[in-house]
Amino acid sequence: MGTCVITGAGSGIGKATAIKLSECGYFDSFALVGRNQSDLEATRDSMGAHASNVRIFNIDLSYPERIPEVVSAIVEQMGHIECLLNIAGYTDPTPLLATSLESFELTYKVNVFAPFMFMRECVKYMKQRGGKILNVASTAGMTPRPGWLSYASSKAALISMSDTLTAELSEYGIMVYCVSPGRCATKLRRRLAPEEDPSTIMQPEDVAEVICRLVNPSEACLDGQNIVIRKVIKK
Amino acid sequence: MYTLLLLSGGVGTRMQNAVPKQYLLLAGKPVIMHILERVDQIDSISDMVIVCAPEYESHIKQMLQQYGVVKPVRFAPAGATRQQSVFNGLRLVESEDVILHESARPFVKVEDFERLIGASHRNATFGTSIPFTVVKGHERFEGLLTRSELVNVQLPQKFETRLLKEAHKKAIEEGREFTEDGSMIFHYFPDTYVEICEGMDYDIKLTTRIDMLAGEQIYDDVFRRRK
Repeated sequence: MGTCVITGAGSGIGKATAIKLSECGYFDSFALVGRNQSDLEATRDSMGAHASNVRIFNIDLSYPERIPEVVSAIVEQMGHIECLLNIAGYTDPTPLLATSLESFELTYKVNVFAPFMFMRECVKYMKQRGGKILNVASTAGMTPRPGWLSYASSKAALISMSDTLTAELSEYGIMVYCVSPGRCATKLRRRLAPEEDPSTIMQPEDVAEVICRLVNPSEACLDGQNIVIRKVIKK
Repeated sequence: MYTLLLLSGGVGTRMQNAVPKQYLLLAGKPVIMHILERVDQIDSISDMVIVCAPEYESHIKQMLQQYGVVKPVRFAPAGATRQQSVFNGLRLVESEDVILHESARPFVKVEDFERLIGASHRNATFGTSIPFTVVKGHERFEGLLTRSELVNVQLPQKFETRLLKEAHKKAIEEGREFTEDGSMIFHYFPDTYVEICEGMDYDIKLTTRIDMLAGEQIYDDVFRRRK
Protein backbone atom coordinates (compact mmCIF):
# COMPACT_ATOMS: atom_id res chain seq x y z
CA MET A 1 0.00 0.00 0.00
CA GLY A 2 1.12 3.53 -0.60
CA THR A 3 0.41 6.78 -2.37
CA CYS A 4 -0.45 7.20 -6.02
CA VAL A 5 -0.29 10.64 -7.64
CA ILE A 6 -2.66 11.08 -10.58
CA THR A 7 -2.54 14.17 -12.80
CA GLY A 8 -5.57 15.05 -14.87
CA ALA A 9 -7.72 13.24 -12.31
CA GLY A 10 -10.72 15.48 -12.86
CA SER A 11 -11.91 13.98 -16.13
CA GLY A 12 -11.40 11.41 -18.88
CA ILE A 13 -8.70 8.77 -18.47
CA GLY A 14 -7.41 10.35 -15.25
CA LYS A 15 -10.79 10.19 -13.57
CA ALA A 16 -11.51 6.67 -14.80
CA THR A 17 -8.09 5.51 -13.60
CA ALA A 18 -8.54 7.04 -10.15
CA ILE A 19 -11.87 5.30 -9.74
CA LYS A 20 -10.62 1.97 -11.09
CA LEU A 21 -7.46 2.04 -8.96
CA SER A 22 -9.46 2.81 -5.84
CA GLU A 23 -11.24 -0.52 -6.38
CA CYS A 24 -8.02 -2.52 -6.91
CA GLY A 25 -6.40 -2.10 -3.49
CA TYR A 26 -2.84 -1.51 -4.73
CA PHE A 27 -2.79 1.89 -3.06
CA ASP A 28 -4.67 3.32 -0.11
CA SER A 29 -3.73 6.96 -0.62
CA PHE A 30 -4.36 9.06 -3.68
CA ALA A 31 -3.24 12.56 -4.59
CA LEU A 32 -5.66 13.82 -7.22
CA VAL A 33 -4.04 16.60 -9.23
CA GLY A 34 -5.91 18.87 -11.61
CA ARG A 35 -7.15 22.29 -12.46
CA ASN A 36 -10.81 22.12 -11.61
CA GLN A 37 -11.65 21.70 -7.92
CA SER A 38 -15.24 20.55 -8.41
CA ASP A 39 -14.21 17.96 -11.02
CA LEU A 40 -11.58 16.58 -8.65
CA GLU A 41 -14.14 16.47 -5.84
CA ALA A 42 -16.49 14.54 -8.11
CA THR A 43 -13.72 12.03 -8.83
CA ARG A 44 -12.97 11.70 -5.13
CA ASP A 45 -16.63 11.10 -4.35
CA SER A 46 -16.78 8.32 -6.94
CA MET A 47 -13.77 6.43 -5.60
CA GLY A 48 -14.04 3.05 -3.94
CA ALA A 49 -13.47 1.72 -0.47
CA HIS A 50 -9.72 1.11 -0.81
CA ALA A 51 -9.10 4.84 -1.14
CA SER A 52 -8.90 5.61 2.56
CA ASN A 53 -6.91 8.80 2.10
CA VAL A 54 -7.72 10.97 -0.92
CA ARG A 55 -6.45 14.51 -1.19
CA ILE A 56 -6.94 17.11 -3.84
CA PHE A 57 -4.13 19.28 -5.20
CA ASN A 58 -5.25 22.12 -7.39
CA ILE A 59 -2.82 23.25 -10.05
CA ASP A 60 -2.99 24.58 -13.57
CA LEU A 61 -0.31 22.57 -15.38
CA SER A 62 0.30 25.39 -17.81
CA TYR A 63 2.44 26.70 -14.93
CA PRO A 64 4.84 23.77 -14.53
CA GLU A 65 7.19 25.87 -12.41
CA ARG A 66 4.65 25.49 -9.59
CA ILE A 67 4.94 21.70 -9.57
CA PRO A 68 7.82 21.39 -7.04
CA GLU A 69 5.63 23.13 -4.49
CA VAL A 70 2.75 20.72 -5.18
CA VAL A 71 4.96 17.63 -4.89
CA SER A 72 6.40 18.93 -1.62
CA ALA A 73 2.86 19.41 -0.34
CA ILE A 74 1.90 15.89 -1.40
CA VAL A 75 4.87 14.38 0.47
CA GLU A 76 4.23 16.57 3.48
CA GLN A 77 0.59 15.55 3.68
CA MET A 78 0.80 11.93 2.51
CA GLY A 79 4.26 10.86 3.65
CA HIS A 80 5.67 9.28 0.51
CA ILE A 81 5.01 8.55 -3.15
CA GLU A 82 4.99 5.06 -4.66
CA CYS A 83 3.40 5.75 -8.01
CA LEU A 84 3.06 8.69 -10.40
CA LEU A 85 0.56 8.69 -13.25
CA ASN A 86 1.07 11.54 -15.72
CA ILE A 87 -2.31 11.56 -17.42
CA ALA A 88 -3.19 15.23 -17.88
CA GLY A 89 -3.10 16.38 -21.49
CA TYR A 90 -3.90 19.39 -23.62
CA THR A 91 -4.44 19.98 -27.31
CA ASP A 92 -5.10 22.84 -29.65
CA PRO A 93 -5.04 21.09 -33.02
CA THR A 94 -3.86 23.41 -35.76
CA PRO A 95 -1.74 23.09 -38.91
CA LEU A 96 1.74 24.58 -38.97
CA LEU A 97 0.81 27.90 -40.59
CA ALA A 98 -1.97 28.48 -38.11
CA THR A 99 -0.03 27.50 -34.99
CA SER A 100 1.00 30.35 -32.75
CA LEU A 101 4.05 30.16 -30.55
CA GLU A 102 1.78 30.64 -27.53
CA SER A 103 -0.37 27.65 -28.46
CA PHE A 104 2.67 25.48 -29.16
CA GLU A 105 4.21 26.49 -25.84
CA LEU A 106 1.04 25.80 -23.91
CA THR A 107 0.75 22.31 -25.40
CA TYR A 108 4.34 21.55 -24.46
CA LYS A 109 3.92 22.99 -20.97
CA VAL A 110 1.06 20.64 -20.17
CA ASN A 111 2.11 17.58 -22.19
CA VAL A 112 5.90 17.66 -21.78
CA PHE A 113 7.12 20.14 -19.18
CA ALA A 114 4.56 19.18 -16.54
CA PRO A 115 5.29 15.41 -16.75
CA PHE A 116 9.01 16.23 -16.72
CA MET A 117 8.64 18.35 -13.60
CA PHE A 118 6.40 15.81 -11.86
CA MET A 119 8.87 13.02 -12.63
CA ARG A 120 11.88 15.04 -11.51
CA GLU A 121 10.28 16.10 -8.26
CA CYS A 122 8.67 12.75 -7.42
CA VAL A 123 11.84 10.78 -8.18
CA LYS A 124 13.62 12.77 -5.46
CA TYR A 125 11.33 11.00 -3.01
CA MET A 126 10.77 7.71 -4.85
CA LYS A 127 14.42 6.84 -5.42
CA GLN A 128 15.02 5.52 -1.91
CA ARG A 129 12.27 2.89 -2.12
CA GLY A 130 11.52 2.44 -5.81
CA GLY A 131 8.11 2.73 -7.42
CA LYS A 132 6.32 3.14 -10.71
CA ILE A 133 5.81 6.00 -13.14
CA LEU A 134 3.33 5.78 -15.98
CA ASN A 135 3.03 8.36 -18.75
CA VAL A 136 0.00 8.56 -20.97
CA ALA A 137 1.16 9.47 -24.48
CA SER A 138 -0.86 8.86 -27.63
CA THR A 139 -0.77 7.01 -30.92
CA ALA A 140 -0.56 10.54 -32.33
CA GLY A 141 3.03 10.56 -31.04
CA MET A 142 3.97 7.65 -33.30
CA THR A 143 2.50 8.47 -36.69
CA PRO A 144 2.28 11.61 -38.83
CA ARG A 145 -0.82 13.66 -38.02
CA PRO A 146 -1.13 16.67 -40.34
CA GLY A 147 -2.88 19.43 -38.46
CA TRP A 148 -1.94 18.12 -35.01
CA LEU A 149 1.64 19.38 -34.97
CA SER A 150 1.98 20.51 -31.37
CA TYR A 151 -0.01 17.66 -29.83
CA ALA A 152 1.57 14.84 -31.86
CA SER A 153 5.12 16.08 -31.37
CA SER A 154 4.57 16.63 -27.64
CA LYS A 155 3.38 13.04 -27.26
CA ALA A 156 6.39 11.83 -29.26
CA ALA A 157 8.52 13.67 -26.72
CA LEU A 158 6.75 11.93 -23.86
CA ILE A 159 7.30 8.52 -25.46
CA SER A 160 11.00 9.29 -25.81
CA MET A 161 11.29 10.62 -22.25
CA SER A 162 9.71 7.44 -20.92
CA ASP A 163 12.18 5.34 -22.85
CA THR A 164 15.19 7.29 -21.58
CA LEU A 165 14.02 7.34 -18.00
CA THR A 166 13.35 3.61 -17.97
CA ALA A 167 17.10 3.13 -18.22
CA GLU A 168 18.10 6.13 -16.13
CA LEU A 169 15.89 5.26 -13.14
CA SER A 170 16.36 1.50 -13.20
CA GLU A 171 19.05 1.52 -10.50
CA TYR A 172 16.54 3.10 -8.11
CA GLY A 173 14.02 0.35 -8.70
CA ILE A 174 11.70 2.83 -10.42
CA MET A 175 9.87 1.35 -13.39
CA VAL A 176 8.69 3.71 -16.14
CA TYR A 177 5.73 2.77 -18.29
CA CYS A 178 4.31 4.50 -21.31
CA VAL A 179 0.93 3.89 -22.87
CA SER A 180 -0.35 5.33 -26.12
CA PRO A 181 -4.09 5.12 -26.35
CA GLY A 182 -5.71 5.31 -29.75
CA ARG A 183 -9.01 7.08 -30.20
CA CYS A 184 -10.62 7.40 -26.79
CA ALA A 185 -13.82 9.18 -25.84
CA THR A 186 -12.42 12.07 -23.81
CA LYS A 187 -12.94 15.83 -23.87
CA LEU A 188 -9.57 16.12 -25.53
CA ARG A 189 -10.60 13.74 -28.30
CA ARG A 190 -13.65 15.86 -28.89
CA ARG A 191 -11.38 18.78 -29.79
CA LEU A 192 -9.34 16.64 -32.14
CA ALA A 193 -12.33 15.01 -33.84
CA PRO A 194 -15.50 17.01 -33.08
CA GLU A 195 -17.62 15.14 -35.60
CA GLU A 196 -16.96 11.72 -34.14
CA ASP A 197 -19.61 9.83 -32.14
CA PRO A 198 -17.90 9.12 -28.79
CA SER A 199 -19.97 6.01 -28.23
CA THR A 200 -18.30 4.32 -31.22
CA ILE A 201 -14.73 4.47 -29.89
CA MET A 202 -12.71 3.24 -26.90
CA GLN A 203 -13.84 4.58 -23.51
CA PRO A 204 -11.62 6.04 -20.74
CA GLU A 205 -12.50 3.05 -18.57
CA ASP A 206 -10.86 0.74 -21.12
CA VAL A 207 -7.59 2.65 -20.86
CA ALA A 208 -7.91 2.80 -17.07
CA GLU A 209 -8.21 -0.99 -17.02
CA VAL A 210 -4.85 -1.36 -18.80
CA ILE A 211 -3.20 1.25 -16.57
CA CYS A 212 -4.36 -0.63 -13.49
CA ARG A 213 -2.82 -3.84 -14.80
CA LEU A 214 0.49 -2.06 -15.38
CA VAL A 215 0.70 -0.40 -11.97
CA ASN A 216 -0.19 -3.66 -10.23
CA PRO A 217 2.86 -4.20 -7.98
CA SER A 218 3.27 -7.72 -9.33
CA GLU A 219 3.71 -6.45 -12.91
CA ALA A 220 7.44 -6.41 -13.68
CA CYS A 221 7.89 -7.00 -17.40
CA LEU A 222 6.14 -4.32 -19.41
CA ASP A 223 7.99 -1.13 -18.50
CA GLY A 224 10.24 0.65 -20.98
CA GLN A 225 8.07 0.19 -24.03
CA ASN A 226 5.39 2.24 -25.63
CA ILE A 227 2.27 0.16 -25.15
CA VAL A 228 -0.42 0.96 -27.67
CA ILE A 229 -3.96 0.67 -26.35
CA ARG A 230 -6.65 0.15 -28.95
CA LYS A 231 -9.99 -1.52 -28.62
CA VAL A 232 -11.83 -3.70 -31.05
CA ILE A 233 -15.24 -2.09 -31.45
CA LYS A 234 -18.17 -4.28 -32.38
CA LYS A 235 -20.08 -2.88 -35.34
CA MET B 1 29.76 5.51 13.09
CA TYR B 2 31.89 6.13 10.05
CA THR B 3 32.78 9.16 7.97
CA LEU B 4 33.22 8.65 4.25
CA LEU B 5 36.34 10.37 2.99
CA LEU B 6 35.93 10.61 -0.76
CA LEU B 7 38.94 11.51 -2.86
CA SER B 8 37.83 13.53 -5.82
CA GLY B 9 40.81 15.70 -6.62
CA GLY B 10 41.72 14.16 -9.98
CA VAL B 11 42.08 16.51 -12.92
CA GLY B 12 41.45 13.93 -15.62
CA THR B 13 44.52 14.46 -17.79
CA ARG B 14 44.65 10.80 -18.81
CA MET B 15 41.05 11.02 -19.95
CA GLN B 16 42.05 13.69 -22.51
CA ASN B 17 39.06 15.69 -21.43
CA ALA B 18 38.75 19.23 -20.11
CA VAL B 19 36.30 18.02 -17.48
CA PRO B 20 37.75 15.75 -14.77
CA LYS B 21 36.42 12.21 -15.05
CA GLN B 22 34.49 12.30 -11.79
CA TYR B 23 32.19 14.93 -13.30
CA LEU B 24 31.63 13.18 -16.63
CA LEU B 25 28.37 11.33 -17.15
CA LEU B 26 28.34 7.58 -16.65
CA ALA B 27 25.01 5.91 -17.34
CA GLY B 28 23.48 9.37 -17.45
CA LYS B 29 24.75 10.44 -14.03
CA PRO B 30 27.93 12.27 -12.97
CA VAL B 31 30.51 9.69 -11.91
CA ILE B 32 30.91 11.16 -8.42
CA MET B 33 27.15 10.96 -7.73
CA HIS B 34 27.06 7.18 -8.12
CA ILE B 35 28.94 6.74 -4.85
CA LEU B 36 27.44 9.72 -3.02
CA GLU B 37 23.88 8.54 -3.71
CA ARG B 38 24.60 5.01 -2.49
CA VAL B 39 26.53 6.06 0.60
CA ASP B 40 23.63 8.36 1.46
CA GLN B 41 21.55 5.21 2.04
CA ILE B 42 23.97 3.60 4.53
CA ASP B 43 22.92 4.16 8.13
CA SER B 44 26.30 3.49 9.73
CA ILE B 45 27.95 6.26 7.72
CA SER B 46 27.11 9.54 9.44
CA ASP B 47 28.70 12.09 7.16
CA MET B 48 31.00 12.66 4.24
CA VAL B 49 34.14 14.62 3.53
CA ILE B 50 34.86 15.29 -0.13
CA VAL B 51 38.38 16.20 -1.11
CA CYS B 52 38.33 18.15 -4.35
CA ALA B 53 39.76 21.10 -6.21
CA PRO B 54 38.12 24.14 -4.58
CA GLU B 55 36.74 25.36 -7.91
CA TYR B 56 34.50 22.26 -8.10
CA GLU B 57 33.03 22.65 -4.61
CA SER B 58 30.02 24.68 -5.70
CA HIS B 59 29.38 22.31 -8.60
CA ILE B 60 29.34 19.32 -6.22
CA LYS B 61 27.09 21.18 -3.78
CA GLN B 62 24.63 21.83 -6.58
CA MET B 63 24.64 18.13 -7.55
CA LEU B 64 24.15 17.06 -3.93
CA GLN B 65 21.07 19.25 -3.81
CA GLN B 66 19.77 18.02 -7.18
CA TYR B 67 20.14 14.38 -6.21
CA GLY B 68 18.63 14.91 -2.77
CA VAL B 69 21.65 13.74 -0.74
CA VAL B 70 20.80 14.32 2.91
CA LYS B 71 23.92 13.35 4.87
CA PRO B 72 26.12 16.26 6.00
CA VAL B 73 28.97 16.93 3.57
CA ARG B 74 32.11 18.95 4.15
CA PHE B 75 34.86 19.83 1.73
CA ALA B 76 38.64 19.75 1.95
CA PRO B 77 41.05 21.02 -0.69
CA ALA B 78 42.89 18.48 -2.81
CA GLY B 79 46.63 18.33 -2.19
CA ALA B 80 49.50 18.03 -4.64
CA THR B 81 49.65 14.27 -4.06
CA ARG B 82 47.08 11.63 -3.21
CA GLN B 83 48.62 11.32 0.26
CA GLN B 84 48.29 15.04 0.89
CA SER B 85 44.68 14.90 -0.24
CA VAL B 86 43.90 12.13 2.25
CA PHE B 87 45.65 14.10 4.98
CA ASN B 88 43.67 17.25 4.15
CA GLY B 89 40.42 15.28 4.32
CA LEU B 90 41.37 13.50 7.54
CA ARG B 91 41.66 16.83 9.32
CA LEU B 92 37.88 17.17 9.03
CA VAL B 93 37.07 13.62 10.11
CA GLU B 94 35.68 13.43 13.63
CA SER B 95 34.25 9.90 13.64
CA GLU B 96 36.31 7.17 15.27
CA ASP B 97 36.44 5.27 11.99
CA VAL B 98 36.79 6.42 8.42
CA ILE B 99 35.95 4.83 5.10
CA LEU B 100 38.31 5.88 2.37
CA HIS B 101 37.14 5.80 -1.20
CA GLU B 102 37.74 7.57 -4.48
CA SER B 103 35.10 8.97 -6.81
CA ALA B 104 36.75 7.39 -9.84
CA ARG B 105 35.58 4.00 -8.53
CA PRO B 106 31.81 4.33 -8.93
CA PHE B 107 30.97 0.63 -9.10
CA VAL B 108 30.62 -0.19 -5.42
CA LYS B 109 27.25 -1.41 -4.20
CA VAL B 110 25.63 -0.51 -0.89
CA GLU B 111 26.09 -4.19 0.06
CA ASP B 112 29.84 -3.94 -0.65
CA PHE B 113 30.17 -0.97 1.72
CA GLU B 114 28.17 -2.88 4.30
CA ARG B 115 30.41 -5.93 3.90
CA LEU B 116 33.49 -3.77 4.50
CA ILE B 117 31.90 -2.16 7.55
CA GLY B 118 31.02 -5.62 8.85
CA ALA B 119 34.57 -6.98 8.38
CA SER B 120 35.97 -8.54 11.54
CA HIS B 121 38.88 -6.14 11.90
CA ARG B 122 38.79 -2.40 12.31
CA ASN B 123 41.27 -1.78 9.53
CA ALA B 124 40.32 -3.46 6.29
CA THR B 125 40.51 -3.11 2.56
CA PHE B 126 39.11 -4.86 -0.45
CA GLY B 127 41.60 -6.77 -2.54
CA THR B 128 41.60 -9.16 -5.46
CA SER B 129 44.12 -11.70 -6.66
CA ILE B 130 46.23 -10.66 -9.64
CA PRO B 131 45.39 -12.53 -12.82
CA PHE B 132 48.55 -11.50 -14.65
CA THR B 133 52.30 -11.69 -14.07
CA VAL B 134 54.09 -8.73 -12.52
CA VAL B 135 57.86 -8.31 -12.37
CA LYS B 136 60.20 -5.69 -10.98
CA GLY B 137 61.93 -3.59 -13.58
CA HIS B 138 61.82 -0.62 -15.85
CA GLU B 139 63.53 -1.10 -19.17
CA ARG B 140 64.67 -4.62 -18.23
CA PHE B 141 63.76 -7.34 -15.77
CA GLU B 142 65.25 -6.55 -12.37
CA GLY B 143 63.52 -9.08 -10.16
CA LEU B 144 60.69 -11.56 -9.99
CA LEU B 145 57.54 -11.38 -7.88
CA THR B 146 55.46 -14.37 -6.91
CA ARG B 147 51.95 -13.76 -8.20
CA SER B 148 50.30 -15.91 -5.55
CA GLU B 149 51.79 -13.65 -2.85
CA LEU B 150 50.39 -10.44 -4.37
CA VAL B 151 47.09 -8.66 -3.95
CA ASN B 152 45.53 -5.93 -6.06
CA VAL B 153 44.41 -3.43 -3.40
CA GLN B 154 40.96 -1.98 -4.08
CA LEU B 155 39.11 0.85 -2.46
CA PRO B 156 36.97 1.34 -0.42
CA GLN B 157 38.95 0.74 2.75
CA LYS B 158 38.20 1.37 6.40
CA PHE B 159 40.58 2.53 9.10
CA GLU B 160 40.64 3.59 12.69
CA THR B 161 40.79 7.37 12.25
CA ARG B 162 43.28 7.96 15.06
CA LEU B 163 45.68 5.36 13.65
CA LEU B 164 45.47 6.69 10.12
CA LYS B 165 46.04 10.27 11.26
CA GLU B 166 49.06 9.16 13.23
CA ALA B 167 50.48 7.24 10.25
CA HIS B 168 50.09 10.31 8.07
CA LYS B 169 51.91 12.49 10.59
CA LYS B 170 54.79 10.02 10.65
CA ALA B 171 54.91 9.95 6.85
CA ILE B 172 55.03 13.75 6.73
CA GLU B 173 57.81 13.82 9.32
CA GLU B 174 59.81 11.31 7.29
CA GLY B 175 58.93 12.86 3.94
CA ARG B 176 57.63 9.51 2.65
CA GLU B 177 54.96 9.16 0.02
CA PHE B 178 52.59 6.21 -0.04
CA THR B 179 50.17 5.59 -2.89
CA GLU B 180 47.69 3.78 -0.68
CA ASP B 181 46.78 3.97 3.01
CA GLY B 182 46.68 0.29 4.01
CA SER B 183 50.34 0.12 3.07
CA MET B 184 51.03 3.18 5.19
CA ILE B 185 49.34 1.66 8.24
CA PHE B 186 51.18 -1.61 7.66
CA HIS B 187 54.50 0.23 7.40
CA TYR B 188 54.17 2.30 10.56
CA PHE B 189 52.13 -0.13 12.64
CA PRO B 190 53.22 -3.59 11.47
CA ASP B 191 51.42 -5.26 14.36
CA THR B 192 48.09 -3.89 13.19
CA TYR B 193 45.95 -6.43 11.40
CA VAL B 194 44.86 -4.95 8.08
CA GLU B 195 42.23 -7.33 6.83
CA ILE B 196 41.83 -8.04 3.12
CA CYS B 197 38.21 -8.64 2.14
CA GLU B 198 37.45 -10.40 -1.12
CA GLY B 199 37.20 -7.62 -3.69
CA MET B 200 34.88 -7.15 -6.65
CA ASP B 201 35.87 -7.60 -10.29
CA TYR B 202 33.52 -4.74 -11.20
CA ASP B 203 35.18 -2.26 -8.84
CA ILE B 204 37.44 -0.78 -11.51
CA LYS B 205 39.02 2.64 -11.36
CA LEU B 206 38.05 4.88 -14.24
CA THR B 207 41.30 6.13 -15.60
CA THR B 208 41.23 6.14 -19.38
CA ARG B 209 38.57 6.75 -22.03
CA ILE B 210 38.36 3.01 -22.57
CA ASP B 211 37.48 2.62 -18.88
CA MET B 212 34.51 4.93 -19.42
CA LEU B 213 33.29 2.81 -22.31
CA ALA B 214 33.76 -0.39 -20.30
CA GLY B 215 32.13 1.37 -17.36
CA GLU B 216 28.85 1.73 -19.23
CA GLN B 217 28.75 -2.04 -19.67
CA ILE B 218 29.68 -2.67 -16.06
CA TYR B 219 26.92 -0.33 -14.87
CA ASP B 220 24.44 -2.08 -17.12
CA ASP B 221 25.40 -5.48 -15.82
CA VAL B 222 25.80 -4.69 -12.11
CA PHE B 223 23.42 -1.86 -11.32
CA ARG B 224 20.67 -1.62 -13.88
CA ARG B 225 17.87 -3.78 -12.57
CA ARG B 226 15.95 -4.03 -15.82
CA LYS B 227 17.42 -6.94 -17.77
